[in-house]
Amino acid sequence: MSDVIEPGLELLERQNRFVSEHFRRIFVQIYHLVQNVADAQDLTQEAFIKALQHQEQLKDGQKAAQWLSRIATNTAIDFLRRSSRATFSELEDAFESGSETPEQILLRSEHREYLEDGLRLLSPRERAALIMRDVEGLPAEEVAQRLNCSKATVRSHIANGRTKFRRYMEKRKR
Amino acid sequence: MRHPNQATLALHAGGDLGPFARWLTSRHLARCESCREEVAAFDEVRQSLPGLAEVPDLPWNRLAAEIKANVRLGLAAGECVRSVDPPLRQSGLIHGGRAAVAFACAAVLVVTGMVLERPLPPAAREEGPLVQNTPYGIEVRAGGQTLGLTNNGVQRVTYSLDAQGSMGARYVDPETGAVTINTVYVQ
Repeated sequence: MSDVIEPGLELLERQNRFVSEHFRRIFVQIYHLVQNVADAQDLTQEAFIKALQHQEQLKDGQKAAQWLSRIATNTAIDFLRRSSRATFSELEDAFESGSETPEQILLRSEHREYLEDGLRLLSPRERAALIMRDVEGLPAEEVAQRLNCSKATVRSHIANGRTKFRRYMEKRKR
Repeated sequence: MRHPNQATLALHAGGDLGPFARWLTSRHLARCESCREEVAAFDEVRQSLPGLAEVPDLPWNRLAAEIKANVRLGLAAGECVRSVDPPLRQSGLIHGGRAAVAFACAAVLVVTGMVLERPLPPAAREEGPLVQNTPYGIEVRAGGQTLGLTNNGVQRVTYSLDAQGSMGARYVDPETGAVTINTVYVQ
């Protein structure tokens, strides 16, 4: 990634290798934020295109993964900002497996929808911070790096996210 | 007794406080039942969220191939746009006769404006197919005929348009929850 761009096949090969190395991790990272396979696929592509178009900005090849994660997070947050439409669960199709009964699939689907409804109450940055911290288990420092903000701001997003989610859960219990 | 605020308790539940704040909060919690309950409620939130971590079982190889192909396409498209639109700094005209170029551009603009402002006969306007969104859905008009693709009475619809002239409509049926994506391509 950090090498000088060369035209032709070698460049193509290097771009392919870069996508292969990182695509699954980036896809999962974006999927956690948008909770939708089709959107996650589009946004993964968008993130890779942005990264490869601006690869000269990457000074240290060792930090490619971190740099790409930040681009992916920003791409997903921008999408959440401009997209007011609801995300929807694809569990019925995608999670179907032979080991589960239809009741189990339904229960899991309902639980997921319940969680997704709660996420919609959060701002895109609160949502991203909460997912990175409580779903992916990243330390606050790394969340701050990915969101390109201070640790104090990340803490504030996490606290707001947990508080809003808690209110939502209490309301749903009543 | 002075209680920690909600944000502090929310952060304490996830171990996100600094060492001193954590120590202070722990000390308070040891003797405050209501704050312990608050922290337990935040902990419940944290316990429920990992349910979102699951990723569907996807055909990863196919997905990787699709993403690679689309990335290549996107990069090629970006290159095309860049090569069609060279940076102004490299143009010799800018260094030579800026005023002349500016004057010529202004003249072209005025002439173009005058030409475009001329009323066209109705037949000429109808030459190509026209795609537009209406309160009912997407409508295609060509050769005096109209074809409509309705949105099933759904009010909240997201329309998208691309440079090739295709139009898309996405909506969620409020009754059934079914998601519909209509795309009309014009050639």
